[in-house]
Amino acid sequence: MPRILVCYKWVLDEQDIKINPGDLSLDSSKAKYKISDYDKNAIEEAMLLVESKEGSVDALTFGSDKVKQSLKDVLSRGPGKVDWIGDTAFEQADAFVTANVLAAAIRKNGSYDLILCGEGSSDSYSQQVAPRLAAILSIPAITFVQKISIDGSRIIATRKLGDCTEVVEVAGPAVLSVLPEINKPRIPSLKQVMAAAKKPSQEVKLADLQLGAEELQPKTITLSVKGYVMNRKNILYKEANQADNVAKLVASLAQEGMC
Amino acid sequence: MSEEEKFDAIIIGAGPAGAACAYVLAKEGKNVILIERGATAGEKNVTGGRLYTYAMELVEPGLYKQAPMQRKVVREQIMMMSANSAITIDYGNYDFGTEIPQSFNVLRAPFDEWFAAQAEEQGAMLACGILVEDLIERDGKIIGVRAGDDEIYANVVIAADGVNSLIAQKAGLRDDISVHAVAVGAKEIIELPRNVIEDRFNLTGDEGAARMLVGGTDGVLGGGFMYTNSNSISLGVVLSPEDLARQGKKIHDILQDLKMHPAIYSLIKDGTTVEYGAHLVPEIGFSGIPKKLYRDGLVVVGDAAGMCMNTGTILRGIDLAIVSGVAAARAIIANEGASDVGAAYMQQLEQLQLLPTMRLYGKYHELLGNARMISTYPNMANEIMKMMFSVDGTLPKRIDKAMLGIVKKHVTFGQIVADGWKGFKATT
Repeated sequence: MPRILVCYKWVLDEQDIKINPGDLSLDSSKAKYKISDYDKNAIEEAMLLVESKEGSVDALTFGSDKVKQSLKDVLSRGPGKVDWIGDTAFEQADAFVTANVLAAAIRKNGSYDLILCGEGSSDSYSQQVAPRLAAILSIPAITFVQKISIDGSRIIATRKLGDCTEVVEVAGPAVLSVLPEINKPRIPSLKQVMAAAKKPSQEVKLADLQLGAEELQPKTITLSVKGYVMNRKNILYKEANQADNVAKLVASLAQEGMC
Repeated sequence: MSEEEKFDAIIIGAGPAGAACAYVLAKEGKNVILIERGATAGEKNVTGGRLYTYAMELVEPGLYKQAPMQRKVVREQIMMMSANSAITIDYGNYDFGTEIPQSFNVLRAPFDEWFAAQAEEQGAMLACGILVEDLIERDGKIIGVRAGDDEIYANVVIAADGVNSLIAQKAGLRDDISVHAVAVGAKEIIELPRNVIEDRFNLTGDEGAARMLVGGTDGVLGGGFMYTNSNSISLGVVLSPEDLARQGKKIHDILQDLKMHPAIYSLIKDGTTVEYGAHLVPEIGFSGIPKKLYRDGLVVVGDAAGMCMNTGTILRGIDLAIVSGVAAARAIIANEGASDVGAAYMQQLEQLQLLPTMRLYGKYHELLGNARMISTYPNMANEIMKMMFSVDGTLPKRIDKAMLGIVKKHVTFGQIVADGWKGFKATT
């Protein structure tokens, strides 16, 4: 009966973010929030594991003051309860701070056999929170996971590494970060949405986690966030003979170091 | 069959009708679920329109003051357009906006999300991202709804699922949508700085304008509208799909041409189109309301019930939707625990003056469906203005003769009498 915790991030939906053509700054004024895409896979995987084996799934998130909006969504995806930390410190937080906060909340609120995260968040995709969390909690980390099975206290995971896979086994507890191909997250049903309204959620105050100022000081400072525009060269070859066009194309590519 | 999850009411669709109904019921302590197919309320909505606050006052006095409104309408305008000219009637009344009668320009996406959240705060359960596929019927009575594999039950189901209401169809209250009963609307939201909008429309601060466009639709039956939002303009056309097909014209071409009309272009130039949407609008007023709006266990509200009207000077729909939602809620509250609330609902629609108002404007649709109203008369009016204001040094014609000449060019005497008679009949 594994006790599983899933961590998720409440992020701006990148589809709603526009790039201002002038200065390439981002306009997120009309953007809605969502559960980060791969975190949905982590939640789904936790549910699949307990649905076949029994056990329980809790959820945990650290976000801005808007994070409370996420509770209904996450609970309708299956977890039995959610702990949330909503604090303005999130605005500046990097993976270091996030991992410190999540680890402190985990230590405070309970022990788990397995902690699941998405491989990276839809916004910053630093892929660091899961391994950092494991390091702080002094338990194993397994990344790039595309398959999980639990056998007693043993966790067996298949990792996707470039052109090969690696099957690893650890004794829990451990932190695993999952890839999107591990499953297809469910669309919550009416009954699941209704059930979510009755499930418990608990706010955890950042101040109650007794973190030092240093642990809340981000290691990475974001200097700017800008849209990226690919400037095309717009070269047209207009020779009558196609062979000449091909020759020119190849010459150009060679000059660019492309072939 | 388990009935553990039995609600007092299941409301399908979190638009203004559904949210108003949920709000009033939840405030009364009823166990209500509001089901919305979009990921959030308002997500599926593309309407930029206006909301008359009298309707919100029926829901909860003063609530509208917290709503994400755009501008309060103090300038009512009617623009009669010809190919390269336009006459604008501009009625400014600065008492509008202080109390009822009062209206605001709204963008429905943020408004609906806000309104549904208000209902939730009153205790209604809001379930988004759920498509209700069918009604559950037992012994001729609607007892619940089905979504995917889930079934839930209620004393009364309220169909607030919009113009193309599948639920009303499933209940056998209306047929599949018929082409003459709806218009197709296309709209752009064009972003401009606040102060530019205020300058161009002669507004101060949060004041707004609402403009009906007559003509300017390339001879296709229908009309246009323009609303000022805080920092954008909603510009669109609402056209007869039947007439579009008959004339082989496309609605987006007509909207593009309208944007390029010199009298419109100067209002929107340098703006950025940030949204483009198209939607069906229940168009034919009172005659578009299904014969029956209820069954045992079900009532139909808002656009689903065809509650929309065009008076020629204003378009109304959002306020009627809210009123009908309130009417349904009041009928349920007055008949504690009953499933057959249809008669009480109809009575509320009468008492709240919704049906009487729609009856009053019942024949306007025929009047506005006359091709002469949307092209001949606007062209004629523009030509008369041109004649009166043109000075070229030649000897002008006597005004009465010149006017008669222009009128004769456009219509026959018989047509004027016929249209006048129809207009008289429609308004009396």
